[in-house]
Amino acid sequence: MNVLGIDSATEACSAAIWRDNAVITHRFETMRRGHAEVLMCLVKDVTQRATLTFRDIDLIVTTVGPGGFTGLRIGLASARALALAGRIPIIGVTTLEAIAQAQSPAGKPFLIALDSKRADIYVQLFDDAKRPLCEPGAMLPSDIEPILPSGPVAIGGNASMAILDAISDRAPALERLIGPTLPDAAIIAAIGAARYSKNPNLTAPPKPLYLRSPDAHLPTVQIQ
Amino acid sequence: MIILGIETSCDETAAAIVRDDRSILSNLVNSQLDEHRPYGGVVPEIAARSHLDHIDGLVDRALRDANMEFDDLDGVAATGGPGLIGGVLVGMMTAKAIALVHTLPLMAVNHLEGHALTARLTDAVEFPYLLLLVSGGHCQLLSVTGPGAYVRYGTTLDDAVGEAFDKTAKLLGLPYPGGPAVEQAARSGNPNRFDFPRPMRGRPGCDFSFSGLKTAVARTFRAATQDENVVADAAASFQTAAGEALVDRTRNAIERFRAENPNGDTLVVAGGVAANAHLRTVLGNLATDEEFRFVAPPPALCTDNAAMIAWAGIERLRLGLTDTLDFAPRPRWPLNELRVAS
Repeated sequence: MNVLGIDSATEACSAAIWRDNAVITHRFETMRRGHAEVLMCLVKDVTQRATLTFRDIDLIVTTVGPGGFTGLRIGLASARALALAGRIPIIGVTTLEAIAQAQSPAGKPFLIALDSKRADIYVQLFDDAKRPLCEPGAMLPSDIEPILPSGPVAIGGNASMAILDAISDRAPALERLIGPTLPDAAIIAAIGAARYSKNPNLTAPPKPLYLRSPDAHLPTVQIQ
Repeated sequence: MIILGIETSCDETAAAIVRDDRSILSNLVNSQLDEHRPYGGVVPEIAARSHLDHIDGLVDRALRDANMEFDDLDGVAATGGPGLIGGVLVGMMTAKAIALVHTLPLMAVNHLEGHALTARLTDAVEFPYLLLLVSGGHCQLLSVTGPGAYVRYGTTLDDAVGEAFDKTAKLLGLPYPGGPAVEQAARSGNPNRFDFPRPMRGRPGCDFSFSGLKTAVARTFRAATQDENVVADAAASFQTAAGEALVDRTRNAIERFRAENPNGDTLVVAGGVAANAHLRTVLGNLATDEEFRFVAPPPALCTDNAAMIAWAGIERLRLGLTDTLDFAPRPRWPLNELRVAS
């Protein structure tokens, strides 16, 4: 089974082809902007170098967020359109579970924390077997301590330093993970492949996970 | 040649399939009006989210409506700007993906060029022609001598005419969207009750200005007797003033266009505001006076749609003007910066 993974939800763009439990081709580029220019070129590159056409792709896996609104839409719009155009099944995974999957937590539960470019941080807790202990959420660093399990806890993701700075005096058992801090299409493809093999009955295309409503305010005064 | 068009630059998600013999095989528009109405205007983040939710399904439906598969397409065109960038990105990535999977030419279409070339889709207008492009964000007079070949004669110095309609609607307490609401209210109004200014009238050149008109409406309306006709009368008086301002500037443009294009004799009006029946009438009368042919596409092809994007894609593909997968969407993209066929 040939799986195409793609991601552009955070400060990186990546694409990968995954087959038979192995990464066949892989591109990963960190970038603050320019995802819309780069992403489809990466997809083309990994597919061509794996000597595949889109007829050979059996599954597309994309991140759905949380992340930058613009970036996650670039990835999700691309993935959904690739799936539509090739009539290929598509599955969505979260950025937080993609980063979690890449960690080696060494027997400890752990928190993945992603920068949101605002005061709050996207977070999710996982157990030592990388199974989620809660839903993804957006929280201020100072509010995170109460949700942490007692005992040693590890922390990863590109906002882990921000959280350690905010609460390490109150939660001294926090240890920083050294794994990847951003989602990567190779891991994303692997997660999707495993999930799809357990349940190949996909229905609607994956939906974005914004974790925040649009910044829009109803007018409070009628202008006359 | 059969082209899929995608439009996501403002508050309409649209997909269409057009053939180069000028037939529109399908033309779907998903309006987001209800999502933006509570806010009294387009909220960019709400628009971008809605485009993402709908565009793939809409493309699928457009194909089914035309009884086609992706394999039947000869190219994909999407709005690459100008517009609200969050939405443009969604449409552009959708087009890039389809182009990559089916190895199709990709055309990143300037949204304004979509409006500008619509008259060639609907009425087979030949180049050159004079174009009055009027919408919520734009108010320009241009000579059009080919795809990508625009000379701007004039533009607004402040508000676009559509903006003036929207702001006037708000002032008069009319519902969103303002353009159609002002037109509707004006139907039963007395256009002579208020003597609003006709901005720039009588001055040389082809530039516009509408902020003074809007201010005059605000001042006069507040001071006026609030009788049962005041809103309709103000709407009608405003619409008449705006129409006369457009006519005056367009008359100057016709004079210049005639001097520069002795073989040109057509005035085209395009863009969302060109759906306004009163403005179509007064501009049509101007064209008749000047012995010009007048072309205004049907209202549904004046407001934002994807058929015009597909058509502009056809015009560009005919000239070999295609784009690559690394095209960067452009929130600002003046028509006179378009690539021209060499």
